[in-house]
Amino acid sequence: MTKNEFESVVREHQKMVYSIACNFFHNDAIAEEVAQDVFLQLFKQHRTVQLGTHCVAWLRRSTVHRCIDAMRRSSFRQEIQVDCLPDIASEVPETDLLLQESLRRLIASLPEKPRAVLILRYGEDMDVEEIGRTLQMPARTVWSHLQRGTAMIREKAMRYLKEKVLEGDRR
Amino acid sequence: MSQFERDLRESLRHREPPSGFAEKVLAKSRESETRHTARPWLAAAAAVFLMIGGGIFVEQQRQQAKDEKAKEQLMVALRITGSKLRDVQERLSTIQQRAVQRQSNP
Repeated sequence: MTKNEFESVVREHQKMVYSIACNFFHNDAIAEEVAQDVFLQLFKQHRTVQLGTHCVAWLRRSTVHRCIDAMRRSSFRQEIQVDCLPDIASEVPETDLLLQESLRRLIASLPEKPRAVLILRYGEDMDVEEIGRTLQMPARTVWSHLQRGTAMIREKAMRYLKEKVLEGDRR
Repeated sequence: MSQFERDLRESLRHREPPSGFAEKVLAKSRESETRHTARPWLAAAAAVFLMIGGGIFVEQQRQQAKDEKAKEQLMVALRITGSKLRDVQERLSTIQQRAVQRQSNP
């Protein structure tokens, strides 16, 4: 990859790299920092990374690994409390947006591996095999992280809804 | 695909990075490149400096060793000369004593 090609790669894939990091942390500032680091790493290795699918795979792998590293380094844990989620009852017209925001927060509160798997599966539309290659884990492990992650989100979401229903009954 | 999966997909869709993100990345990459190109020169200069410094040090050490050796050789030579002189002095005094004895007992 030449330097000019590097520039076009940054412009073309900035959205993807930033989104993975943003979905991982649910924090714009950290996501921007991680995304910048990923591209600077690519710049250092631009001679060895080939354009096309190899480059996209490299970017996805590198972003997820950097996110996990950043999280471990700073002990960045996002324990999302049910109370912190947006109040659906008071914001009926924007239900979809609120649901998406709630889901994003819940995903960012998952343990690192299920979180990464869910982001690659639903954010990047990758299949289990591709995710396995990206995260260097067997497809069966990817599958179990996927199931575990979705089950955790469902469980947290249910708890949240139950609390809202009970709150509504009390009123 | 279930509704839940559709919701997940929707909530994780790609988002635009902050404006100027690409420019910031490209500026930083240029900056890092300048740093990297400056580094070999710095390393070469440091190597030359070390080589010259090392050469001078080695030369000084060699000269010092040479001086030490010369000093040692001089000391040995002086010691030898001293002992020879003592021998000659002893012989002379013996000859002198004999001459005195011969004069007193002809």
